[in-house]
Amino acid sequence: MLYFPTMKTIKKTNTLLILALIVGIAFHGSAIFFTLEYTYDALIHLFFADHYASSWFDPWEYRWYTGFTVQSYPPLVHQLIGILSYIGGLKFGMYTVGLLAIVLFITGVYRYTLLMTGSRRIAGYGAVLAVFSSTFVETLHIFGQLPSVSALSILLHAMTEIYLYIKTGKTRYFITSASMLAVTVTSHHVTPLFGMVFFIAPLMGMTVMDAAREKVASYKKLSFKVFWSSTLQHFWRIAKFGGTAIFLLVFCIFPYWYNSKRNPITQVAIPHGSRDNFLEVTSSGLVFFVIPWGVFLFVLPYFFYRYFSKRYLFFGLSFTLLTILGTGGSTPIPRLMLGEMAFNILTLDRFTLWATIMALPIFAEFAFRMVEGDLKALIQARFGGVYHRVLGGLIAGGLLFMVLFTMTLGYFRPSQPAKIKMLPIVNFLGADSHDSWRYLPLGFGDQMAWLSAQTNAMTVDGNYHSARRLPELTTRAIERIENSKFRGVEGIGSLQQFLTVPEKYNLKYIFSNDKFYDPILYYCGWQRLQQLENGIMVWEKLNVAPIPQILPKQDVPTIMKLMWGLIPLSTVLIAIFINIQMIWVRLLKSKKTEEHSFMKLALPYNKFSNKLLIFSHWWALLMLVILGYGIFLFYVKNEEQLSPNNVVESYYDALDFKEFSRAHSYLDPENNIDIAQYMLEVSVTDGILSSYAKLDSLNIEIYDVTKTSAKAKVATTWITPLENVFNNDYHELVKRNGKWYIEPSKVDNDIPPDQLFTANGTTYYNHGRRKITTQETYHEDVLKQPVLEILSAKLVKFKGQYSIIGELQNVDDTPADVVIKATLYNDQNKELANYNAKHHIKHKLMPKETTTFKINFEGIAWSSTKDTLPPTFNPDEFTPVSFEEQPTKFNLQSAGNTANTDLYKHLALQDLEYTEQGFNGVLFNSGVQEVTIPQLIISYYNKDHELLWVDHKFVTSGVRIQRKQFFNYQPLDLDSLSIINSSLKNCFVNGLPNESIAEKMFPNRNSVHGLKQTQPFKGKGYEYIKFELNSYIGNPK
Amino acid sequence: MYIRIVIILCVLLASCSSNEKEPVIKTVLPDVMLESKKIDFIAGDSISITFKTDSSFEKLKLQVKNAYGSTLLTPKTINENKINFLVPKNYSRLAGPCRWQLLHDTEIVLKGVINITTNDIHQTHIESYFGPRSISAGPIDFSMLTVAPTDIYDNPLNDGTEVTVKYQFQEKINELKITTKSFFAWYNVNSTTKSGRILVTSECNSTTSKELATIVFPANATDFSINATSAHNFADGNQIITFKSDIIRDQFGNIVSNGTLVTFVIKNENDAYLYTIGTTLNGIAEAKTLHPDKASKWEIQAFITGAAESNTTNFDFKPAIHDYPVLFSKGNRNIDIGPFESFMKQLIPDGLLVQLDIYDADGKFIQSEKTTTKNGICNIFLGAHYLPEGNYILKLQAAGIKKEFRINIHGN
Repeated sequence: MLYFPTMKTIKKTNTLLILALIVGIAFHGSAIFFTLEYTYDALIHLFFADHYASSWFDPWEYRWYTGFTVQSYPPLVHQLIGILSYIGGLKFGMYTVGLLAIVLFITGVYRYTLLMTGSRRIAGYGAVLAVFSSTFVETLHIFGQLPSVSALSILLHAMTEIYLYIKTGKTRYFITSASMLAVTVTSHHVTPLFGMVFFIAPLMGMTVMDAAREKVASYKKLSFKVFWSSTLQHFWRIAKFGGTAIFLLVFCIFPYWYNSKRNPITQVAIPHGSRDNFLEVTSSGLVFFVIPWGVFLFVLPYFFYRYFSKRYLFFGLSFTLLTILGTGGSTPIPRLMLGEMAFNILTLDRFTLWATIMALPIFAEFAFRMVEGDLKALIQARFGGVYHRVLGGLIAGGLLFMVLFTMTLGYFRPSQPAKIKMLPIVNFLGADSHDSWRYLPLGFGDQMAWLSAQTNAMTVDGNYHSARRLPELTTRAIERIENSKFRGVEGIGSLQQFLTVPEKYNLKYIFSNDKFYDPILYYCGWQRLQQLENGIMVWEKLNVAPIPQILPKQDVPTIMKLMWGLIPLSTVLIAIFINIQMIWVRLLKSKKTEEHSFMKLALPYNKFSNKLLIFSHWWALLMLVILGYGIFLFYVKNEEQLSPNNVVESYYDALDFKEFSRAHSYLDPENNIDIAQYMLEVSVTDGILSSYAKLDSLNIEIYDVTKTSAKAKVATTWITPLENVFNNDYHELVKRNGKWYIEPSKVDNDIPPDQLFTANGTTYYNHGRRKITTQETYHEDVLKQPVLEILSAKLVKFKGQYSIIGELQNVDDTPADVVIKATLYNDQNKELANYNAKHHIKHKLMPKETTTFKINFEGIAWSSTKDTLPPTFNPDEFTPVSFEEQPTKFNLQSAGNTANTDLYKHLALQDLEYTEQGFNGVLFNSGVQEVTIPQLIISYYNKDHELLWVDHKFVTSGVRIQRKQFFNYQPLDLDSLSIINSSLKNCFVNGLPNESIAEKMFPNRNSVHGLKQTQPFKGKGYEYIKFELNSYIGNPK
Repeated sequence: MYIRIVIILCVLLASCSSNEKEPVIKTVLPDVMLESKKIDFIAGDSISITFKTDSSFEKLKLQVKNAYGSTLLTPKTINENKINFLVPKNYSRLAGPCRWQLLHDTEIVLKGVINITTNDIHQTHIESYFGPRSISAGPIDFSMLTVAPTDIYDNPLNDGTEVTVKYQFQEKINELKITTKSFFAWYNVNSTTKSGRILVTSECNSTTSKELATIVFPANATDFSINATSAHNFADGNQIITFKSDIIRDQFGNIVSNGTLVTFVIKNENDAYLYTIGTTLNGIAEAKTLHPDKASKWEIQAFITGAAESNTTNFDFKPAIHDYPVLFSKGNRNIDIGPFESFMKQLIPDGLLVQLDIYDADGKFIQSEKTTTKNGICNIFLGAHYLPEGNYILKLQAAGIKKEFRINIHGN
């Protein structure tokens, strides 16, 4: 605690406030440069600011979500940053507004404390404590909620004015309070909306209480009757102000309400940590409860004691409500109070934020009493001076610890991927008309907003989910497609739709900052274009048309544009103009001003309740016990080799995070596998499990436990971008010197016959355009589209699902990238659905290569909200289109484009055997590239050798160079399959009828060749089966 | 107050009704005569249209309309009752009829047409296209050369303009003359039976076009032959067998395109269809796969699907391993298999797959254990968590040699 000699000053400069401002600006002002860009929200606001900087009045923003309106978020902070960006760029604007918010917050808390306590000394304490408030640190430095912080700060400033207006009824105060409220409204809509309920309403109550108090001699004599008469006396002022506040809330951001009405938020609820049960999800508990409350948790009884005194009664009610609402899903109360709907829309952390801000004056009062008031005297008298100093030191230490802890949270547990240099991406998008297509960043975190702010190119993604309009996104509980892997089924499902049908959104480029997504990109037919200097891999999809010149736009009346562009900054200018005199007077003490009435209500603080002190001690002890127990649980759970369960869990955790040296340390030391050998063995295993999987669940069953040994059955579920992988592993565990270890498992000993291999092959290079020009590509630089031939196509129904299956061949002399799209029609030729082939096809074909394909018709998942979300993750989750009518016909449009990458064909089927467990096969990689994820495409044929069905299987381990890999495949039962239509009539290749191509390119096709390449196999509903291989190479050399 | 409003309304109504009664004034069209008589121009000429008028010309405007679009012109020069309109370059450079209308307010006073012809005096430009950019060898396929000669203002030259087409294939250069019809000339360059590159160019009014090319790719492959080679013919599961085709050609003797995919289908003695893939390089496709680890008879045939197939070649693998010992210990839970000795009594290279299928005493399958050999041996331990004590049938399989054991597993 800070010790200052007692000052009996009223009109002197408040040194504590000055100190708070200096320390606050120095501390927060320098820290924001290292934190703000890594926060969740700051860069989103930067993007909005960029919008206003480039088009102030036009609210339509094309760059996100195929277009959305910025009238979906109050504009003041964005417009301020936008204006300031003309001086020193967007980030300059952001930091300037950040600094302003810091100053406003500290002074706001000062004025609010002054209003509440009537003591400038305590208000000074309040200002100092505001600087070190962990809730403020978190909101600014971790969440980056600039508008929220600014709005709250101005609301705190407005409170004094509101109090004075209701108390005195002077027009001057009405104008000042209204002007400040208008600024609050234009900064953030939720703050004034709830601020009315939680701050202004109790403030009005307190004002009336104060007025009533003036009528009687003491609080004891203040009866309900007196209060009621006082209320009636002030009713018109309250009504006038309340009405004005509502008017301002509606008028100042009227376009926002207009837009909300016109584009109601259709977004399904997105899970938010603040709604979790904090006892179950401890990380959410930490971020949304422990950090904002911090040291306050120990002083809670004092807060309630003070807030339930007569003067603060209404604040007490509000404070209690906020505290309870802030507990999220830990108790059922918030859900019951808010109702299911509001509970799932609101982020409940704001209630905790307001509760902790509301508690600040009382905490300042507590600090004052502790440092230099009656509490100090009481403690010293009861427990001695040393105890008082130790206790003070502990509280101050706790406060500082929470600040440091919160501040460094982002450093130790980064919530964002490492900072990405955007310039290479911006240059890429700017060059060669790459911005004529939409792009999609993957694995960028909130930095995607910063990328968007720097380029004119558009993305299908975005970072403000309330403004989304695409049903593919609004029906999914995902924040962004960009981080879809963290959002389970909905995430990967949504991403896959964008990847499979990219031409729907003119999506051509993907910037991948996360290797995790690479396999799904490959199998959806995307190809690697280049790696930029910043390490970002650019993926490209062929055969996607550029964005049309004219894009749809939702226009708003000009009056709305004018209101939106002019009102927010005007409110600031008006507020400054109105309050300038007051600020001037207050800052420079140029004029003697009359003491405000609430200053007379300062308490003498001469007798701290003994009972409260005792209770607080017990409470603090309870908190310490809970804290200690929490730490103990954390230790037991995380101490790696304490139990068989822990060592298995730690081992898998280490493997999951690729910390191989840590994983090695859990292996039985007596096995003498040295770290180099282990790393070597682990590093050579590639495949979807070891390179692209995220451990989703770990089910450990420990049995046969003796004192020194145990056995573990580990059932793991791995999330991969392609599908879920379930594994069962068995481990033997031993205990040596009090620590548990895992016995290492066997490795494959296969060695290839030679050391050096040679391989010859044809490689391809496509110039793009030979002539460097900004104009359209010259006619002679446009490559001919390779000609494909569709050999067969059928509409089949299997297990209630319609699919188009077929076979096609690249009949040209150059390699082809294949895109194939099917449309279903009913008997009346009404279009029912269309979709592209996803991964049941080899997208890259060498000359004369054939591939079977299957097109499933995927609907937009959970488009009817009645469908319940599956609780577990399954990236392969498939939502079939629900057909109202029976599809009977189809149309196939295939397009070939010259391919020059991903043409590795050296995977061989080396052995195949049918056993009771299905087909056991051996793959052999005869080339010189490592196949990371092999895919089997299995086609089924009837006795007439007609294609019936196409299935696939991803082999979970990769095939190393010149080595083999085993696989197992269970053949299907196709008894229930029915062929609805089999025709090549409506099949087109590069826009030309398939028939004419067949006649010209392959007039004498030998149809026996297909038959001679298939495996006779008497299965359920079929006679032949064929295995085709497709290989994804993770690191092409 | 109300009275005032009523009065204002009455006044407003009165004023509205009085407007209706106002008589319509009929405009009198001015007397205008066309002064300039020339109606034929060459594209690029300066075109001006002059009129003689005796009345006010303030309201006169000329509307010109041709393929470029339509515009309104205001009089440029005024001289003693004469007005003059200068047709803008955009309009005067475009060949074709150019219609004009002289307007007085919205009324048409006069109208006429002037003809602008192509400017073939000056330099000719050639716009030429040739496609598709690649064709197949043989008598069917062709690429079309399309030539559109234009004047300097991009107006197509008149029909019947002569265009010289030249095309080259290997040593031969052909030249012929064609004429434009509907503003362009075209010629189909037929494919050749030899693969290669055909270059074309065109010439008109001594202006030549740029060089354009089409590639003649070989036609579909014809049947070919293959052979299989390996270091030895023992089924050691380690060496690599190579399949190679002879040079694959089309029916005209061209070597097929590089990269053509050839599938080598292997049928083994169990009728399992295996395959490996090669792509051609200078007509030769080469594909590799691993020796089986047990005696096998392979029949290999290669396909270029739909187009060509090869002969069937056989490759018989002799067993490399004739037998191996198996040793049970530790209550029959520990199984040591090997050493495996290969065809020269050498230890087999590491990595031979050994599979153990475990069945219960009634012959019901329980599970499979797989391992690979290292230094010629391998070991399987059936921990108690896999198999409780009891009688089992163990079927061991390695290098194509199956062994079956009925044993009692006991202890830990």
